[in-house]
Amino acid sequence: MTALRLPDDQPTPVAARTVAPRIGARAVCEALVREGATTIFGYPGGTVLPIYDVLREFPLRHILVRHEQGGAHAADGFSRATGGVGVAIATSGPGAINLVTGLATAMMDSVPMVAITGNVPRALLGKDAFQETDIVGIALPVTKYATVVMDPDEVPLAMAEAFEIARSGRPGPVLLDFPKDVLQLETSAPHPEPHELRLPGLLRPVRGDVPEADELAELIGRAERPLILAGHGVQIADATELLRQVAERSEVPVAHTLLGIGNMDETHRLSAGYAGMHGWMHVNKAIQQCDLLVGIGCRYDDRITGKTSTFAPRATIVHVDVDRSEIGKNVRTDLGIVADAGDLLAALLRRLPQSEPRTAWLEQIAEWRVVSEARSWHGSGAWREGRLSADYVIDRIGEATGHQATLVSDVGQNQMWAARYFGFRKPFHHLSSGGLGTMGYAVPAAMGAALGTPERETWAVVGDGGFQMTMQELATLVQDQIPVRIAVLNNHRLGMIRQWQEIIYDENYHSAELLGPDLVRLCEAYGIPAWRATKPEEVDGVIAEARKAPGPALIDFHLDEAQNVYPMMLPGKGLSEMVEGGAE
Amino acid sequence: MMATAPRRQTLPAGEPDAEHRRHVVSALVIDRPGTLNRVSGLLRARSFNIESLTVGTTHEPGKSRMTIAIRGDDGHLRQVLAQLERVIDVLEVHDLTTVPHVELELALVELEPPDGPDAESRLRAALDAAGGELITPADGSWRARLTATPTEIDRALEALRPLGLRRLVRAGAVAMTTTAQTTTPTENGEPRA
Repeated sequence: MTALRLPDDQPTPVAARTVAPRIGARAVCEALVREGATTIFGYPGGTVLPIYDVLREFPLRHILVRHEQGGAHAADGFSRATGGVGVAIATSGPGAINLVTGLATAMMDSVPMVAITGNVPRALLGKDAFQETDIVGIALPVTKYATVVMDPDEVPLAMAEAFEIARSGRPGPVLLDFPKDVLQLETSAPHPEPHELRLPGLLRPVRGDVPEADELAELIGRAERPLILAGHGVQIADATELLRQVAERSEVPVAHTLLGIGNMDETHRLSAGYAGMHGWMHVNKAIQQCDLLVGIGCRYDDRITGKTSTFAPRATIVHVDVDRSEIGKNVRTDLGIVADAGDLLAALLRRLPQSEPRTAWLEQIAEWRVVSEARSWHGSGAWREGRLSADYVIDRIGEATGHQATLVSDVGQNQMWAARYFGFRKPFHHLSSGGLGTMGYAVPAAMGAALGTPERETWAVVGDGGFQMTMQELATLVQDQIPVRIAVLNNHRLGMIRQWQEIIYDENYHSAELLGPDLVRLCEAYGIPAWRATKPEEVDGVIAEARKAPGPALIDFHLDEAQNVYPMMLPGKGLSEMVEGGAE
Repeated sequence: MMATAPRRQTLPAGEPDAEHRRHVVSALVIDRPGTLNRVSGLLRARSFNIESLTVGTTHEPGKSRMTIAIRGDDGHLRQVLAQLERVIDVLEVHDLTTVPHVELELALVELEPPDGPDAESRLRAALDAAGGELITPADGSWRARLTATPTEIDRALEALRPLGLRRLVRAGAVAMTTTAQTTTPTENGEPRA
């Protein structure tokens, strides 16, 4: 440990030296490079300027966001699309606090991320100095770990540990707070080798074979109407291929949660589809009728289960999760297995014999599906009468991109339409704030996704409400020419709010009408090509135009304003009590 | 014991028990600023009211032990303990309620000087029942320390109150298992088989 050097003992400014000293800020950047970071998202400020002063020396592309929340969401989008660890930087006080929504979003969805914040110099900590805030205290409940690094010699180890915590086991965001002088002082501390990390309290899943799979394989063998409910954990474990093999071996249909979209190609004969509050009726029926429900890497959260006492009433419920604390948290669990989803699926595959086709069960689901899709396919059906509806827009984006684009949805009706109608084929191609439900997520997260996966086409699907929450990032898209195609599903209202007020609050509409700018002219001001579509027949044309743009592009889809998302499970009700609409 | 819980689990639905039983939770944690905040913050976020929480060093340098006395329904608490277990600075979490353990608490009391030999003998009897001992009686004040289980201290206080209880300070329960350690945590916190 070096002695604590206080502000009256300021380090010599970097520029005054002939050989640049290895200061804390350089150790931070070295560590980022060592951890594989290539693109980082940040916003400078007084306390992180030591990092910005040396950033040019490192192979790190810094994206200057327009608000720290955008930086956090961009890092999140980068992580989800690439499977890596996104990085966000913010200064002390307001800058750090602006990260919080993004940290909580990542925490709820188990997204690895490292957030780096500056703070006031050590001697000023706790003295209400300019732009001082206790960001570690604020971040504790919304991060997997948050700590302040008080010694320049601790920088390399703290950075390595932050990345290890973020990506190990059940991933999550980590915040490291650096007092400014820790970034300015010299350190010769080496970067640690993996075995030198001091993380005795970090829960690491037991890896390898999962003997408990014996029991599960037996349950699957005995079941007549089994169903797998696959969540985000399958993709986090990079186990979608194993999931397909298990489904095919056992002839068990697979439903998915919102963040489980992409676990199975939706056209696969065993892909049942999207379950839950706005999921497909046939999938929810299958959950209610199955005799074995195998949840893998999901949380059985309230948007999936509805009233837990009536959830899957005929089923033996199995829950596989890498996080022990998830098991039994929400639903009755007959068999809980703490394991990595990939390990469990591999263990199952070794044990399962090839099953006979479960013809009766699959035909039953197919029968329900016909009814379910006839009722709600393309929702209101308004597009058939020449009125533009969101389901049609999403379907056309899916078709135009061959269902290969990354689609980042926002929150609300747009999110549900995207989940239902895009037709996802691959993992890591659907990004959405599922747990926290953060409006304003889509545009900045799409920015991160597009930068992380330049080989893919990236679309942000967002309502006019969510768009207006983070539309300042349009400038970032322009400055760095980030090729995000933004589809604004514009109904001039907070659609999901209005839907709830219509159905649950007796049509007592309040604050649901939303004034917005002329988006085409707004984009003109930013220098972003933009189109408006108001009729179904214009949709394919503008999508084709937007796809040709070398940088960002935006389409303002003016929707039929009366469109709701159906079916819908009302709050406090169960999966068997869904409200079906689509008949208007 | 959470740290040694089997990988296979069968759990009833998370319906709350009517009865909120008192639990004594023992957590081995890393001695570092913020650890207490992480633990208490998690309990607060789940709406647990902490009856007492003590922290102190252990025989191992750098590790502290927290003893948390808490009321809550069994299923809810079990889930919260699993969440505590995943806090990075928490090494082990055990619910001692279901295993043999010894639990003791220290309390300091200041009493009205007894107004006669009868009152004094009742006072001394109440103290004796809770491992009590008078301290500094020479200065004319009547202060005592009690070392007993929290329940015994509760009872002693009931007896002392009518005799004139001026001030009370309780340290909170500390507890230790009385069975031999069956597992030793490995370096990464996972128990050895």
